[in-house]
Amino acid sequence: MRGAAVLWLLAAALAVAAPRAHAFEMQETPSLRAEVAAGKLPPVAERAPEHPAIVDLAAEGKSIGRPGKDLRILMNSARDTRMMVVYGYARLVAFNEKYQIVPDILESVDVEDGRSFTLHLRKGMRWSDGHPFTSDDFRYYWEDVANNKKLSPFGLTTGLLVDGEPPQVSFPDEWTVRYSWSKPNPLFLPLLASPTPLEIFMPAHYLKQFHAKYADPERLKQMIKAAKQRNWAALHTLRSHSYKNDNPDLPTLEPWVLVTHPPAERFVFVRNPYYYRFDKAGHQLPYIDKVYMDIVDSKLIPLKTESGETDLQARYLRFDDYTFLKRGEKQNNYTVRLWRTGTGSEIALYPNLNVKDPVWRKIVQDVRFRRALSLAINRHEINKVVYFGLATEGNNTVLPESPLFKPEYLTDWARFDLKKANALLDEMGFTARGDQGYRLLPDGRPMEIVVETAGGGSEQTDVLQLIHDTWEKIGIHLFVKPEQIEVLRERVVAGEALMSTAAGLDDGVPVADVSPAELAPTSADQMQWPKWGDYYDSRGKAGEPPSLPAAKALLDLYKQWGVSDDSAARTRIWQEMLKIQADQQFTIGTVSGVPQPVVVNNHLQNVPVKGIYNWDPGAHFGVYKPDTFWFDNAPVQTASSGAGRLE
Amino acid sequence: MSVETQDRLEGPRLPHYVSEAPFDPYAVEAMAAGQERYYLAGQWRLMWWKFRRHRVAVASGIFLILMYASILVSEVLAPYELQTRNTDFLYAPPQAVHLFHNGHFVGPFVYGLRTSLDMETLRWVYTPDHNEVEPIRFFCSGDPYRFWNLFEARFHLICPAEGGTLFLLGTDRLGRDMLSRIIYGARISLTIGLIGISISFVLGMTLGGLAGYYGGWVDSLIQRLIEVIRSFPELPLWMALSAVLPVRWSPLIIYFGITIILGLIDWTGLGRAVRSKLLALREEDFCTAAILMGAKPRRIIARHLLPSFMSHLIASATLSIPNMILGETALSFLGLGLRPPITSWGVLLNEAQNVNAVVVYPWIMLPVVPVILTVLAFNFLGDGLRDAADPYH
Amino acid sequence: MFGYIVQRLLIMIPTLLAISIVVFVIIQAPPGDYLSSYMAELQSQGEAVDPQKIEFLRQEYGLDKPMFEQYFIWLTGMLHGDFGYSFEYNLPVTKVVGDRLLLSFIVSFSTIVFIWVVSFPIGVYSATHQYSIGDYSLTFLGFIGLATPNFLLALVLLYLANSVFGTSVGGLMDDKYLGAPWSWDKMLSVLAHLWIPVIVIGASGTAGMIRRLRANLLDELQKQYVVTGRAKGLPPRRLLIKYPLRMALNPFIADIGSLLPHVISGAAITSIVLSLPTTGPMLLHALRSQDMFLAGSFLMFLATLTVIGVLISDLLLAALDPRIRFQGGTAR
Repeated sequence: MRGAAVLWLLAAALAVAAPRAHAFEMQETPSLRAEVAAGKLPPVAERAPEHPAIVDLAAEGKSIGRPGKDLRILMNSARDTRMMVVYGYARLVAFNEKYQIVPDILESVDVEDGRSFTLHLRKGMRWSDGHPFTSDDFRYYWEDVANNKKLSPFGLTTGLLVDGEPPQVSFPDEWTVRYSWSKPNPLFLPLLASPTPLEIFMPAHYLKQFHAKYADPERLKQMIKAAKQRNWAALHTLRSHSYKNDNPDLPTLEPWVLVTHPPAERFVFVRNPYYYRFDKAGHQLPYIDKVYMDIVDSKLIPLKTESGETDLQARYLRFDDYTFLKRGEKQNNYTVRLWRTGTGSEIALYPNLNVKDPVWRKIVQDVRFRRALSLAINRHEINKVVYFGLATEGNNTVLPESPLFKPEYLTDWARFDLKKANALLDEMGFTARGDQGYRLLPDGRPMEIVVETAGGGSEQTDVLQLIHDTWEKIGIHLFVKPEQIEVLRERVVAGEALMSTAAGLDDGVPVADVSPAELAPTSADQMQWPKWGDYYDSRGKAGEPPSLPAAKALLDLYKQWGVSDDSAARTRIWQEMLKIQADQQFTIGTVSGVPQPVVVNNHLQNVPVKGIYNWDPGAHFGVYKPDTFWFDNAPVQTASSGAGRLE
Repeated sequence: MSVETQDRLEGPRLPHYVSEAPFDPYAVEAMAAGQERYYLAGQWRLMWWKFRRHRVAVASGIFLILMYASILVSEVLAPYELQTRNTDFLYAPPQAVHLFHNGHFVGPFVYGLRTSLDMETLRWVYTPDHNEVEPIRFFCSGDPYRFWNLFEARFHLICPAEGGTLFLLGTDRLGRDMLSRIIYGARISLTIGLIGISISFVLGMTLGGLAGYYGGWVDSLIQRLIEVIRSFPELPLWMALSAVLPVRWSPLIIYFGITIILGLIDWTGLGRAVRSKLLALREEDFCTAAILMGAKPRRIIARHLLPSFMSHLIASATLSIPNMILGETALSFLGLGLRPPITSWGVLLNEAQNVNAVVVYPWIMLPVVPVILTVLAFNFLGDGLRDAADPYH
Repeated sequence: MFGYIVQRLLIMIPTLLAISIVVFVIIQAPPGDYLSSYMAELQSQGEAVDPQKIEFLRQEYGLDKPMFEQYFIWLTGMLHGDFGYSFEYNLPVTKVVGDRLLLSFIVSFSTIVFIWVVSFPIGVYSATHQYSIGDYSLTFLGFIGLATPNFLLALVLLYLANSVFGTSVGGLMDDKYLGAPWSWDKMLSVLAHLWIPVIVIGASGTAGMIRRLRANLLDELQKQYVVTGRAKGLPPRRLLIKYPLRMALNPFIADIGSLLPHVISGAAITSIVLSLPTTGPMLLHALRSQDMFLAGSFLMFLATLTVIGVLISDLLLAALDPRIRFQGGTAR
């Protein structure tokens, strides 16, 4: 360890001592040239950090582009301005296209024992308004926001706690920050790389004016009154929503900066002149100058897309819009690509193992019942009817694109077999039938399963209809009960809901180093075992400990993962957990890898032809780096472009 | 006559009859049989005769009676059962009915459909196979169903050929026959209007009657109530109220909830009309006579006052029903009204309100036709009723 | 007359108060509040939400206070001209509603003008040529407009406009004019988009107006004074205009009160389908996300507008028709 530290110091020293020689010539961005000439902006060499992040486009199979042109996208409500933070995907550490975590904003990260993280910032990096980005911004967050009783009355966010223990945070110098806990924190880096990132820094220079500790009291009072807030804490919170992205004055590190004040029908985002990523030819990213986000009712978005009123669109486009979108391709100069969604299962059933009803609880906890339900789902029919046969039929598990995938995870107990399903139910003893033909429970009630759902569109209705029809054949009556999502969650947690539906695994393309928390009872949000998850989440204060041996095994494996330190061990743990999941059918999946239409303007380059459209990891477009997308009909730079040379 | 008067008169001379018989002041003019019937006819008969003159209204009335009658036997009329899916025929276009095949008269039939998937546009393509003749069967045994959920039966008025298809209006995304769904949907859509209107009728009559008869503070209070309700623009109020309906209630209860909501908001027009008529009629002699004879207010209102303008009320009520039907459609469109598995025209239209339906599968929009026809029919009927409402006019 | 006005104004106050209570109850009735529906929406898309932050925001927005307190805060605020705060937009309600109101007025006003312009000649023609082919066919046409559900018509017209005229889809103007200052081009763009909602909304209102005008005119034409006038030798057209038409105009004016909310509500659904930046879609969105102040204040505003509209139309009617004045109330 000490040796490694010395090496790092040496390297750092060398970097400082050597002259600032970049391996390329930085090119001034054409759209900013006028401002630089007028003296309003410093030249590109001074706007960039000393060691900017260099994106190797060729290695990713992309082409080097030209700065220029504007991108149009469509969104549904003003709240969607947050999507620019997601698409921009500037994070301390980020997932790359192979879903590995690499430093992004940070120049490097040192991890010791999985519990101590030293973050190295880029020297000379600046916020979008030109102010330096230093460890002071981290200090401001830690001391003046997270630990300030008025701003955080409920304490630290859960992401910063390991077993309830807060981190030790120190700021060795201007460019270094250190977070350490006494136990390993395997979630820290993935949380920083999440599309909704764990916030551990804020623009101190801007927010200090809203903080009672630093601001002039008179001015602060006036600002509170003008904004109609209750107190300075409310004002500070209001102005600092970096994820919500509704404050044009809030400095950011993202590639595009909001300039329109809400409310508006059209939001404009302009390039961040102090952005830290460059391509190998010396262009400061992003290539695209401006992003226009038009707010339109979601039902009109397919229509507007077909008319060619957007350059890059995936959100609010659904698979059944594909035929319609294809019609406009030639006339409106775009192509409809089909990516795949990255969730473990598009729609999955979650039998509630903690249901209150004792008769049902015994039945649902019997693995034979769950297997029977799964065997009685005709996934092929679902695939054909709803997805034209383009999806992947099988369990709620990882996708084939993940390095952890094995075919049996997908197919165990997932092949349509009514005979076997009926045999399992007969074996369990439910041979008696009622007058309507449904099997009877031990207490004489007919076997009626009420599946409670929230949201979900016509696709979900259709899938449930198909499942209803095949379950009839094994003597089970399926009812669908739609309700509001708050109500659904309450009912699941209280044990009133017998079964619910939701999407499958959030992360369908995990690598061994990502946490397998989803597979074990770790959170009260999990609808298949809310009480067991709550028990772990609350550290034994609420809920119940898992009673099924398989669930206990999953929990033990998860804990082992938390303390393991080599990839091979983690891979082995993951695969054991996946095997148990497929075997036990704790969640019943239907289809995955559903095609997602992505409409791309024919001139827009570097957008993958085939990709995975997933939220976490993936940030929808984020992981494919929209700041590297460029228009091939952007104006060509002239020879005398005045490249910024470095001395 | 003098020339001047003749000049001042406009138009030709009116023909008139001059009797040669001597004047007999005590002679009674005998009426012709037709005239006698007319003068002695009761109020309702006069209304019927006047109504009959309005031919479009009569036609509408007959149409509506047929529609409502069809509700009783929807299961028999529909070629398929409501939930029947044909996985092999998703989004099939309407099939044309032919009578002649290769020059021979075969009777009504459709050609078989051949399915293929266009992988370019991801669309099912159906081509009629001109060698496969599928004659339509009548009074046949087809899809099993439960008649009004009481007993099983298989009798249909019209069915596809054995192993064949009969999609007169095409199919939807799950392969369900549109015509059958529209026929079943009538049950919900038509009755929602009726139940809603009865609620609003009862409310309007009671409250309007009370206000009109008693006057004073009762009148003021009820008028304020009417104003409060009328001040709300209809749609936002429906939206707000429907958002209140808990989603977890069973579809049937939500159905009643919607009818109650529609009725609760609609009674104001009726109430106002009742009130103003009562205010006017209260002063009439026959009412005073009844009071003097010792009749109680309830009897006066119910027995004497109301019947005199019942016809107007019926006409107004008839004109409100289409409003309810459209209201239910609008609410279901917004996702606030009925939902699957309940099938109503509104729910069917909800599935049509995306651009795919308009452009790629236009037959999905067909449920709008019965809505338009029913609304039109009610309007014409109401017009006819209103014209006929006051035969002594 | 003056006494009548004062009396009506005084009665308005308890009416508005009652309306405010009803509105508040309706908004609060669905379970949960703005934050819970916001949280649910985020969770359903897989986005993580920090429950502690939500609790904090709940306190900040005052959503943890009991119902009565929230109502009084809202009510007193409104009386001061402070319509509250929209959680969704993070702005005062007045700012959010402001721009949309102007466009709403433009759409509603154009629609009302359209309704009058179309229904007037048709109604007169229908009445004077009763039971003729022209009468039947025009009435039929009017009814078609009434019977077709707004939203479907809007969608179809939208698609037609786009494929035939190349008008950009949805909205009241081309995207590039959004947020730009008013110019001649912008006006033209607005007009090019405006005709769809006006026709869709106006279609249903026209039929009703035609029918009413026709019915009233028919009533008047059968009255004694018309026969007298005819007998005295007045030419038919002059006779028509001088007396019965004036009487038949009664409903036009009386119905301003009910026309306005009808147009606004008809406009609401059409605006939602066409994605017009008017108040309808905003209201629906606010109701769904339980943005209490925005939805409640706007409903109050609409209701007040209607009450005032009814008052104005009643006053106009009273001015027009002496019978009403002397009977001290509406004779309808």
